[in-house]
Amino acid sequence: MNPELSNFAARLRGQISSESREGREVGEVKPFPSQPSCSSRDIFEKEFPKLALELFALQFKHNAAYRKICAARKLTPETVAHWTQIPVVPTAAFKELELTSLAPVERTAVFHSSGTTEQKPSRHFHCPESLAVYEASLWEWFQANCDVALADCELICLTPSPSQVPQSSLVHMFDTVWQKISGGASVPASRSPFIGKLDKDGAWTLNFEAALSALSANAKLKTQNSIVILGTAFSFVHLLDVLVESNLRLELPAGSRVLETGGYKNRSRSLPKAELHTLITERLGVPRENILCEYGMSELSSQAYDFEVGSQKSEIRSFHFPPWARAQIISPETNIEVAEGETGLIRIFDLANVFSVAAIQTEDLGVKRGDGFELIGRAQLAEPRGCSLMTA
Amino acid sequence: MNLPNYFLADLPSEAELTPTMIVAACDTLKRNREKYLQARSTDEIVNILCEVAAEWLKPENKFRRFVLEYGLAQTGFSPAILEKGLESFFRRFTPVNFQALLAQDLGDADAWHFWRGPELLVHVAAGNIPNPALMSLTLGLLTRSAQFMKCASGAVFLPRLFAHSIYDLDPKLGACLELAEWRGGQVDLEAVLFANADCVTATGSDETLAAIRARLPAKTRFLGYGQRVSFGLVTREVLREETIAEMVARAADDVIAWDQNGCLSPHVFYVEERGAVESDQFAARLAAELIRRETLEPRGKISVEEAAAIASKRAIYEALATHRGDVKIWVSPNSTAWTVVFEHETRFRFSPLNRFIYVKPVPDLAAVLSGIDEVHGKVSTVGIAAPPEKMRQLAVQFAHWGATRICPLGQMQNPPLTWRHDGRPALGDLITWIDVEL
Repeated sequence: MNPELSNFAARLRGQISSESREGREVGEVKPFPSQPSCSSRDIFEKEFPKLALELFALQFKHNAAYRKICAARKLTPETVAHWTQIPVVPTAAFKELELTSLAPVERTAVFHSSGTTEQKPSRHFHCPESLAVYEASLWEWFQANCDVALADCELICLTPSPSQVPQSSLVHMFDTVWQKISGGASVPASRSPFIGKLDKDGAWTLNFEAALSALSANAKLKTQNSIVILGTAFSFVHLLDVLVESNLRLELPAGSRVLETGGYKNRSRSLPKAELHTLITERLGVPRENILCEYGMSELSSQAYDFEVGSQKSEIRSFHFPPWARAQIISPETNIEVAEGETGLIRIFDLANVFSVAAIQTEDLGVKRGDGFELIGRAQLAEPRGCSLMTA
Repeated sequence: MNLPNYFLADLPSEAELTPTMIVAACDTLKRNREKYLQARSTDEIVNILCEVAAEWLKPENKFRRFVLEYGLAQTGFSPAILEKGLESFFRRFTPVNFQALLAQDLGDADAWHFWRGPELLVHVAAGNIPNPALMSLTLGLLTRSAQFMKCASGAVFLPRLFAHSIYDLDPKLGACLELAEWRGGQVDLEAVLFANADCVTATGSDETLAAIRARLPAKTRFLGYGQRVSFGLVTREVLREETIAEMVARAADDVIAWDQNGCLSPHVFYVEERGAVESDQFAARLAAELIRRETLEPRGKISVEEAAAIASKRAIYEALATHRGDVKIWVSPNSTAWTVVFEHETRFRFSPLNRFIYVKPVPDLAAVLSGIDEVHGKVSTVGIAAPPEKMRQLAVQFAHWGATRICPLGQMQNPPLTWRHDGRPALGDLITWIDVEL
C-alpha cells in the first residue's frame, strides 16, 4: 500500500469519525444520535479545500489511469490552485479504466455498479484501508441523518446478504450499519437482518415470508423497539406489492425509519417518489418525515441524504453529502457551476475516495439548492428518439 | 402576426378542450368534406398544394417570416435550420413529383378500379421535427379526407402555420382540417376522437403505438410508424483529396439537418479504411466542417436533459481518448453544439443526437453488417457515398439486409415526395380500393 495514501486515509478517518475523536472504540454505539459533532463540520469547513488539493496531488502521483486523464487536460497539482479545478472523471470511466492506486495484489474487494447484465459494470477497487475509510464515512453520516437511537433499533435490510452479493457497495454499507449496531458480535444466521435473496437469474428479490414475519412480529408489539428498514426503491415496491395483494397494513412501532435508495433499474415497475412514499406510509405506518432517501453509488465512498435534523419539514428536501464530500451542480452546456435553483449534472468531490479518484462526474441531474441538491435522476442516454419518438 | 381563429389550436392557451368540442369538430369536418372536398379533382388539389408550397418558398411570405422570427422560441430550431428544412421540404411540391407519387401508389385506378380515402383521418403527430406532420396533412388532402391532427404538446407551431397557409389560399380546403394540441394520453379527448376516425396514423415509440392501437375500435385502420434509426457509409473510393471536401460537406448536411432529430438522421458514419484519406482524417475534417457550419447554421436550443446526455457521452470518450490511440473526440468549445467521436468499435451506437456523430472505421461491408446487427429491423435510411457502380452493389446488399431506404450521403433528411415511410406506400396505405368486375 502506498504509505502516503495510507497516511492520508488514516488521518481522514480520524477527522471523520466522531468515535475516534471522542476517544471511544470504533463500533461502540453512541448513546444518543447526533449530527457529526460540530468539530467534524468545523474541521472540514476549514480543511476541505486543502485536503482536496493534497489528495489530488497524491492521486495524480499514484493513480496512473487518473494521471493520464489529468495530463491530457493539462491539469496537474502544479496548475490546479483550487479544489473546484481538480479534474473530474466520469462514473462511466470506472467501467473502462482501472481508476485505482491499488496494485492488483492489494485489491481485496471490488464494488460493481448495479446495472443490466450485458453492460460492463463499474469497478471500484478496495483494500482493507480503503474499506475502513468507507465504513467510517458511511457510518458517521448514516447516524447523523437517521436521527434515532440506533442501539435500540431492529434493523431490516431488504437486500441479499453480503455473502450473496459481495460486490455490492450498498449491501456492504447496510452490513456495516448492522455490524455497528449489533456491536460487531457474531449473530446466528437466523438473526441476520438481510431478508432479500437472489432469484434464479441473479436478480435481487425478497424473501417475502421472512419479510412479513420480521415486520408483523414487530408491528404487533407496539412497545417494541423501533425498526429501521433499509432497501432499494425497487425492493420496497416488491414488498409493498405483496402487502397490497395480501391486504395487509402494518403499523410499525413509533419512531421507525425507512431508508430508500437508488432507482428501479427495471427490477420492478417504477413509481414516482411521492407515490412510493405515500404507499410506505399507508402500508408500513411510517410517516413521510421518517422516510430517508439516500443517494450513493459504487464509485463513491460517501452518501448524500435528503434528511437532516431540523430541516425535515421543509417542502423540498435536498440531498446533502457529509462535510468531507462536496457536491457541485454543473451546467452540461458550459461545464461551469449553475446558479441556485438551476438544473445540471451532479459532480462530487469525495475525500473518502482516497485510493481511487475523489473528483467524480455523475450522469445524474440535480437542481442546486444551497450546498445541496434536489435529485432529478439519470440523464437519458442511448435512447433512440428519431422522428418516431416523443409522441407526448 | 395574429392568426385568425380557424382551428382548435388557435384558441388561447387557457381554453380547455372538452370531448364535446372534439365531437363537434369531427362533425363539422365531415360535413365540410362532404360539401367542399369530395367533389374536388386530384389535379385541383395538387395545384393548390403546389401553390401553397410556392408561397412558402417566397422570402416575403408571411408564414415563412413568422417562422423565422418566432421559430427558435417555439421549436428550438435556429432560423437557418428552419429555413433550410422547410425550403427543401416545399421544393418537393411540384406537379411532376405529385404525379409520380399518384402514379406509384394509385396508378392502377381506372374506370372500374377506383379508390376512396378515409372519411375522417386522424393523425397523432410526434413532436420533434415538423416534416412528417406536414406530409401527413398533404397525403390526407390527396385522399380527400377530412383530417384531425393531434399534435404533441408544444409541437403544433409549424403544422398550424401550414394549415393556415392552406386556408389562406383555399378556405374550403382549410375547413376540412382541424388541429389541436394536447399532451398524449388524455383519454377522454382521444376516446371520442378515435371513435370518429376511419383511419389513425401515429408516430411514436413502440409502447406509445401499442397503447394507441389498443384503444382503437376494430373497424379503424391504424398506421403506426415506430422507432427507426439511420446511419451512413463512406467508401474508400470517395476518400480522395479531390472528393473529400464534398463528402465531408454532405456528411455535415445530414448531421445538421433538423439538428439530427429525425429518424432519417444518422447516428453513425461508417468510414472504410485504406482510402487515400484515412478514416480519422475524415472525422477530423467533419469536425472542422461542423465548426464552420455552426456559425452559419447554428444548432438550436436543447433541454438540459439533452445537454446532459451529450456531456455524459463526451466525458467517457474524453477519458477513453487519453488511454487509447484508437479513440478520438472533437467537441465544440464551451457548448454542446457539436461532437465527433471516432472509435474503432464497430457496434452501432445510439447518438444523443443534436449534432453528436460517431465516425467508425471499418475494413469492409461485413464489418458494417455485423456492427448494425443489433438495430436490425429498426433501420430506416442508409446514406452512402460511393461511385455509382459500388453504390448500386451496396444498395442491393443493404436492401437484402433489411434497410428500407438507401440514398446518397447528404440527402438522408431529404426524402423525395414518393418516399415510402418505413417501406409502406404513403398514399396506398390510407385508401381503400373498389373493384368492379363486369
